[in-house]
Amino acid sequence: MAEVDRVLADQVLAGDELAFRELYRRHAPRLYQLVLRFVGGIDADAEDIVQDTWLKATERLGGFRWEASFGSWLSAIGLNVARETLRRRGRRQEVDWPEVNEPATKAPPLDRLEPVDLERAIARLPDGYRTVLVLHDVEGYRHEDIAQHLGVSVGTSKSQLFHARRAIRTALGAGRKERTHA
Amino acid sequence: MHDDDPPDELSPAERQAFDALPREQAPPPTLEERTVTLLRAHGHLPTPLTAVRRRRWSGPWLVGAAAAGLALFASGVAVGQFLGTRNAVQLLSAGRIVSAAEVANHVERAGSNYVAALTLLAQLQDTTDVASRVKARQAALQVLGAAAEEIVQLAPDDPLAGAVLRGLDQRSQLQRPAPPSRSVMWF
Repeated sequence: MAEVDRVLADQVLAGDELAFRELYRRHAPRLYQLVLRFVGGIDADAEDIVQDTWLKATERLGGFRWEASFGSWLSAIGLNVARETLRRRGRRQEVDWPEVNEPATKAPPLDRLEPVDLERAIARLPDGYRTVLVLHDVEGYRHEDIAQHLGVSVGTSKSQLFHARRAIRTALGAGRKERTHA
Repeated sequence: MHDDDPPDELSPAERQAFDALPREQAPPPTLEERTVTLLRAHGHLPTPLTAVRRRRWSGPWLVGAAAAGLALFASGVAVGQFLGTRNAVQLLSAGRIVSAAEVANHVERAGSNYVAALTLLAQLQDTTDVASRVKARQAALQVLGAAAEEIVQLAPDDPLAGAVLRGLDQRSQLQRPAPPSRSVMWF
């Protein structure tokens, strides 16, 4: 896989459009899903971010040293572009990276959870919560990696995740109660 | 699961729901073209010659091209029936004297097959067998270079064949590994 990406990348650097299209088709579905989740399911934003991500990746391709996989590298660029896009459009909400002082009361874990409900709940989270939750619980990043990517402390990452999970449990638990009572 | 999970770990049902979320989603088909256009605009990909040509096509030109195509097809069928499975190269190697017309027909047929094969490659939707696609593209470029060299032998001043050879030279130079960079840019 990595070898194929490397061959294609070399050809892209030589201006080979077909090679670029190959590379795009190999990685765009993964990148698109990732950024779509980051931006809360807004298609137009996700498309712009994917496009800008490929532009930045192509500009930096010559300096990529292949110490990580191409997909991880591309995702990292996508994450940065997504955060920059959200910031520029004023969509980031002030729950971004505060040291949350709310009482750390747990919401009980859910014993039943449909992926479609979960996806909706993730989309409704504030940007800061959503970013950490997606990276940790969906993408499998460790808090140290998240902290490094986002330029925050490990404690902040853990705190954001805690509150993100609580928000999801509260939202889905409340929704379930409403449906039960109805 | 992570070792560093906060104390409120996900329940099995929650973990299962997270794991069930899709990791891939096909972007809209137009996004690929938009991205390619953006990269062309920034000079990272060349503007295709065909796109430039397409803008010059007029209605009468297309009608003429269609008529010429039909005529070419009809003559190809006739020549094909005459030659059967033989080709000029086999006839030459067998010591039989072949006419210039036979060779011209052979060049025409081989050229059409070459272009048709590349058209198929460009339109191929299956992206799983990348190695074969890369191999096909490299073979196509090698054939293009070899053909240009032969044309230069025939007509040393031919500007198109010369340009193809120069372009291929430039391409192979660009593909040589660059010296290691000192700066580490992860993203």
